[in-house]
Amino acid sequence: MKIVESTNIKEKAYFEKLENGLNIIIIPKANTKKKYIMWGTNFGSIDNRFIMPQTNEEVFIPDGVAHFLEHKMFEQKNGRNSLDVLMALGLDANAYTTNDHTAYLFECSSDKFYEGLDELMDYVQNPYFTDENVEKEKGIIGQEIKMYDDDPGFQLYLNTMDCLYHKNAVKLDIAGTIESISEINPDVLYKCYNTFYHPSNMTMVVCGDFKPEDLLEEIKKRLIPKENQGEIKRIYEIEEDSINMSKKEVNMEVSTPIFMIGIKDKVPSSEEAVKRHIAIEIILNMLIGKSSDLYKDLYNSGDLLAEPDMDYEFTKQYAHVLIGGQSKNPELIYEKVKKEIENFKKDGLNEEDFNRLKRKIYGDYVVEYNNVSYIARMFLADNFKGINSFDYIEKFNNVTKEFAEQILNEVFKEDKMALSIVRPK
Amino acid sequence: MNYKKEDYKNGITFHKINTNKFKTNLFAIFLTTKLDRENVTKNALLTAVLRRGTKKLTSQEEISKALENMYGASFDCGVEKTGDNHVMKFYLESINNEFLPSEENLSKECLEILLDIVFTPYLEDGKFKQEYVDGEKENLKQIIQGKIDNKAKYAYDRCVEEMYKNEPYGLYKYGYIEDLEKIDAQNLYEYYLEMIKNVKIDIFVSGNLDDKIINELKESKIIEDLKERNANFNINKENEIKPQVEEPKTITESMQINQVKLIIGLDVLDNRKESKYATSVYNVILGGSANSKMFQNVREKASLAYTAGSNYLRQKDNVFVKCGIDIPNFDKALEIIKEQLKQMEDGDFTEEDIENAKTIIDASVGSITESQDSEITYYFSQELSDEVVSIEEYIKKINEVTKEQIVEIAKKIQINTIYFLKD
Repeated sequence: MKIVESTNIKEKAYFEKLENGLNIIIIPKANTKKKYIMWGTNFGSIDNRFIMPQTNEEVFIPDGVAHFLEHKMFEQKNGRNSLDVLMALGLDANAYTTNDHTAYLFECSSDKFYEGLDELMDYVQNPYFTDENVEKEKGIIGQEIKMYDDDPGFQLYLNTMDCLYHKNAVKLDIAGTIESISEINPDVLYKCYNTFYHPSNMTMVVCGDFKPEDLLEEIKKRLIPKENQGEIKRIYEIEEDSINMSKKEVNMEVSTPIFMIGIKDKVPSSEEAVKRHIAIEIILNMLIGKSSDLYKDLYNSGDLLAEPDMDYEFTKQYAHVLIGGQSKNPELIYEKVKKEIENFKKDGLNEEDFNRLKRKIYGDYVVEYNNVSYIARMFLADNFKGINSFDYIEKFNNVTKEFAEQILNEVFKEDKMALSIVRPK
Repeated sequence: MNYKKEDYKNGITFHKINTNKFKTNLFAIFLTTKLDRENVTKNALLTAVLRRGTKKLTSQEEISKALENMYGASFDCGVEKTGDNHVMKFYLESINNEFLPSEENLSKECLEILLDIVFTPYLEDGKFKQEYVDGEKENLKQIIQGKIDNKAKYAYDRCVEEMYKNEPYGLYKYGYIEDLEKIDAQNLYEYYLEMIKNVKIDIFVSGNLDDKIINELKESKIIEDLKERNANFNINKENEIKPQVEEPKTITESMQINQVKLIIGLDVLDNRKESKYATSVYNVILGGSANSKMFQNVREKASLAYTAGSNYLRQKDNVFVKCGIDIPNFDKALEIIKEQLKQMEDGDFTEEDIENAKTIIDASVGSITESQDSEITYYFSQELSDEVVSIEEYIKKINEVTKEQIVEIAKKIQINTIYFLKD
């Protein structure tokens, strides 16, 4: 196993790639009772067209299959539901689907970890889809889609994506639509399962009080042998650099308008992603974070109630900056943010602010290591982006003011910005 | 025992939790008062005004800058209802010195800032700064109005409000807009002075910290100056036995939504301390897990709901059933839920269900020590209920619960209020 250490935070991660292609990452954490395991596949909502390596057949799938598959994985041939089995063991089990991956996980605070591992590795390796159980799921997922239709925050986000992207599937609901899921059948699910749930397309991350070598053996024991598989060719729509539209507004049941500003970025390479991410976080904090002049203004005028949420989201298929919050006057915030960006570009970044916020961002990364679930989630999501999470701590000092200024000019461009608003009815 | 408590002066208590599980230290100050209509809005506003500035760091911007410089120490505050008490909570979390890229001592500095925020607020002309009070009044107004934004939470809050109409627990923790209008910088500061003299004060430190941190606390001038007090709060010991309800209250409200939210408030007609363990197990079998009756029979088998579960409000002897249901199905869902309650009374559940429920509770109680905040909350709730039950004892008592006890509890559970939020 390859061992990577972060001396600043005194943690180690063990990396192993098995012969069948499965990536395993173990982050041992002494002194903690909780253990967290995630088994993820690099298959998310945006993977809707691909060539199956076994047959060379090109497959188009309806929107929402990755998420549908996630729901259906729990159902077993013997009539049991693996989620129930794990819960009955006192394990906090769950699964989720994002744009670029699907993950199955559980958290264990007792001595039942290996019983849980039996079940997890059994159900993820043994799909069971029938016409009947697929039909039944459509009702449940239909409810879930409707629930999100009611959720102003979720609609706000989707509308931002709709503004930024012409074709990229990130603009679609991960769960699909009532119409798209109606087309799902066992055949589609098996095709996707056989392609994307091959070990060579999967990563397992475990965090907790383990001896890595012993745990690795336990995992290997439970793997079902599978023939090696070639690379999955994924076909994505070509996305233009420009944005789709600069504004989208809807009315929903909210008390105060909520807004999200999006800035479309080019997809960063895995090598530059971490530094770019750190620089963007520092810039965002300088721009509209708690101690910024702009935030102070907007807070005092009552236009912002709290620090906006600031984020840089990226995968291998898209990248964007997001600033979101609640305000009586979203347009004003948008105008002021744009103006402040211009001021920053003109005057350069203030050195004292830059250094202070760099310290803050360092602290934010360290705090992530408080919790086995954050650690595992971080390593899994980063792994699918081709990143080792420790780089956020280790590359930290390489982010200079000059580099941040370069990123500021490269990323924070007015013609790449859009505004999404949800207003009260 | 990794937990130590020291009564410093009457009404002022220090709590120290030793733990090496985290990269951070967490400091917390809790101010506890009785929950009542007169003060609930003031407390909510006061908490927000205090974070605006201290004598030394006179604005939020200065506070933020100081915290950012301390590697992003994070401050948080808020108000909570804990039984019939209203608690103003102030937290500061900072990286433990061990994990900083250079040698610095953050913990003492952190504690000082936190004490300053609570006990030496920024004043102008002998009162709170007008601008801060006005700004926070506006913010709080928006928070109170924002109650409707999270539909599931709103439905739950409304059900509690209806169940506890004209009682303290029915109060909204952020208060009321009509009361907010009567508060100004002068009367809020007068209230603060009076409150700080009588309030119950609990100070928590959690992390890999030396015992000398408590001495540093005692040496602080601010702490020295605090006088002993007969703290005015409610001990969450034993509630009175709730009266039998003849006919459950049904409340239906409309809002534009695609999914009905159904909340059923249940009373537990038993106030014995020991019964609480059986009620916990009852709740998990009914709706506390993916194996529960609610999840299995309402969500999975009948495909009626996306969310279906229950929670147990220990301090008030209530269980709440919560569902999100497709609009045409809500009568059917209610019927199936009532059937689940009946099955609980009839003992229509297995030994395996009981074991599963116990395992789930053990895991959740066992993991309290895995979060600094939840460990503080655990010891604080004991402080308020005047009992000391270690986590090990708690788990032991859960494991002693028998089927007979659960059925006995089930028979003492009655529907108090049915709340629908629909289109």
